[in-house]
Amino acid sequence: MDVSSLPISASQRGKLISAGYASLSSISSLSPSRLALDLKISENEAVEILKVASGRSGGQDKIESGSCAIVNGAQTAWDMLHEEEYSKCITTSCSNLDEILGGGIHCKEVTEIGGVPGIGKTQLGIQLAVNVQIPADYGGLGGKAVYIDTEGSFMVERVLQIAEACAQDMLEYNALLQRDSQACLVDTQPKSFLDNIFYFRVCTYTEQIAVINYLEKFLSEHTDVKVVIVDSITFHFRQDFEDMALRTRLLSGMALKLMKLAKKFNLAVVLLNQVTTKFKEGSFQLTLALGDSWAHAATNRIILYWNGNERHAFIDKSPSLPSASSPYTVTGRGIRNSTSNCKRVKLM
Amino acid sequence: MTPGELLRRPLPAQTAKLTLGCPILDRLLRGGIPCESITEIVAESGTGKTQLALQLLLAAQLPVSDGGLAAASLYLHSEFPFPFRRIHQLLFHRPRFPHNPLDRIFIEPLHSIDHLFDVLPRLDDIIPKSNIKLIVIDSIAALFRGEFDNNAPELKRRSGLFFKISSKLKFYARKFGLAVVLTNQVTDVMESSDNLRIGNPVSLFTSGRKVCAALGLSWANCVNTRLFMWREEDRVGDENVQTRRFLRVVFAPHLPDSSCEFVIRREGLFGV
Repeated sequence: MDVSSLPISASQRGKLISAGYASLSSISSLSPSRLALDLKISENEAVEILKVASGRSGGQDKIESGSCAIVNGAQTAWDMLHEEEYSKCITTSCSNLDEILGGGIHCKEVTEIGGVPGIGKTQLGIQLAVNVQIPADYGGLGGKAVYIDTEGSFMVERVLQIAEACAQDMLEYNALLQRDSQACLVDTQPKSFLDNIFYFRVCTYTEQIAVINYLEKFLSEHTDVKVVIVDSITFHFRQDFEDMALRTRLLSGMALKLMKLAKKFNLAVVLLNQVTTKFKEGSFQLTLALGDSWAHAATNRIILYWNGNERHAFIDKSPSLPSASSPYTVTGRGIRNSTSNCKRVKLM
Repeated sequence: MTPGELLRRPLPAQTAKLTLGCPILDRLLRGGIPCESITEIVAESGTGKTQLALQLLLAAQLPVSDGGLAAASLYLHSEFPFPFRRIHQLLFHRPRFPHNPLDRIFIEPLHSIDHLFDVLPRLDDIIPKSNIKLIVIDSIAALFRGEFDNNAPELKRRSGLFFKISSKLKFYARKFGLAVVLTNQVTDVMESSDNLRIGNPVSLFTSGRKVCAALGLSWANCVNTRLFMWREEDRVGDENVQTRRFLRVVFAPHLPDSSCEFVIRREGLFGV
């Protein structure tokens, strides 16, 4: 546990960190006089800090001794909450969409996005592969992307176009903050965006499974990858699979593996899915492909659909977000806010 | 082969494209028909699908500097007969090739879906041997229409076949850098039925009728780019009816929704 979570004054915290005491365990065995000497504070103050720290770590010890002994690497919900507060999201470049998603696409989660052909699934995929590279100075993750293309819809021209728009936006942002744009120019070349996307083209479902199995090794060698996009997860699994039970097994195995990767490497996994019709209550309705058991695979499910002449995104499933929908458009520059001035975000 | 070899690095800065043989139409498609993916042309009969397909057969033979692929092409047709007269006519108006262009067009009739599945595995040998860089199937709809009953198990079997064909074609497209062009027919849309929206929200009209691409939603998932051709009858004066034709991008990973008018002349198909 971090000293930054201790309920002590900011100056005390600053002194602790600058003296090299970053974790609670590092101060737990210290004497008050030693701490007072190191931090150049009064002994009374040091006693106070140690009291707070031991109270905190003592409480945690109890929890850890309960769980840690059984499951190695278990986390308390408190720690997870903290981590989540510090984790960043990948923006979709559409602020309305970001709003209903709670800031964007979250790391450590598997997000499934589906919709009819031409709604903008691939566009959103490319946009995320570009946006994950926005440097930390601009509120991004400064990471790289893995793009697994099963359909052949990934077009470099389009990536460059979206990357160019993204670089332009960053320059504008610089100008707004009156920052030295020269310093940041280096990494905003559209071509370098392309270099930071690891593109796998898979032509059969065996290749798809092989690549996903290989990802663990690949990601441990490329720890700066912050998003894995599969466009689409479905395509190779809709050819006549005689054995539907085998299909279900393969798919759920893949989903588990991706979930594990998301957690282990602290990255976002985005699965694009197709839609299909399902006979329900006497009529055909649109639903995401791959059936009911697959519906459990992703943490979040987002459905893209046409509402009149406007594209909309709808949160179908999420453990933490209210179900909501928001409009968006696909422009030459990428995914953006819808221009129509009706009510933007609809909470349900 | 290891999974690591499926990683493509560095990515090319541009996708190879096949010219349509007209600068205006090329501009609409930002350079032409993209290689390594499937492009579908949807139109009602008599709009110019086959005309465009024939034009592509010749364009593929142009040198790369002229927007061609400097390669032969394979034409699989399920609509009969093959229009030899028309291709001769087109040839007559084309710049002279150093070779006989007809030598570089391979034609195979398709009589059924089984026949197509018979042809597909053989392509693995034929494509590299004959230096084929373009495959045209005219039309995919003619193969499927009529062979299936309109009930759930049949339709399920049908959509399985769609993905199988598409996957195989994409595999070759990737492996050999092919451009794949398929033509498709249209179906009328009944006003009463709640229609499924695929691609642009504005419904497609041809000859004043509201239509959509044949073969339904699952097939739409199988193509990367969908182009729609339509015609409008304009009454000029009392008797004369003038037909205007248009080409439109319904969906494509790299193109915005846009359209342009074209005419069919003796020399071929041109944007205006």
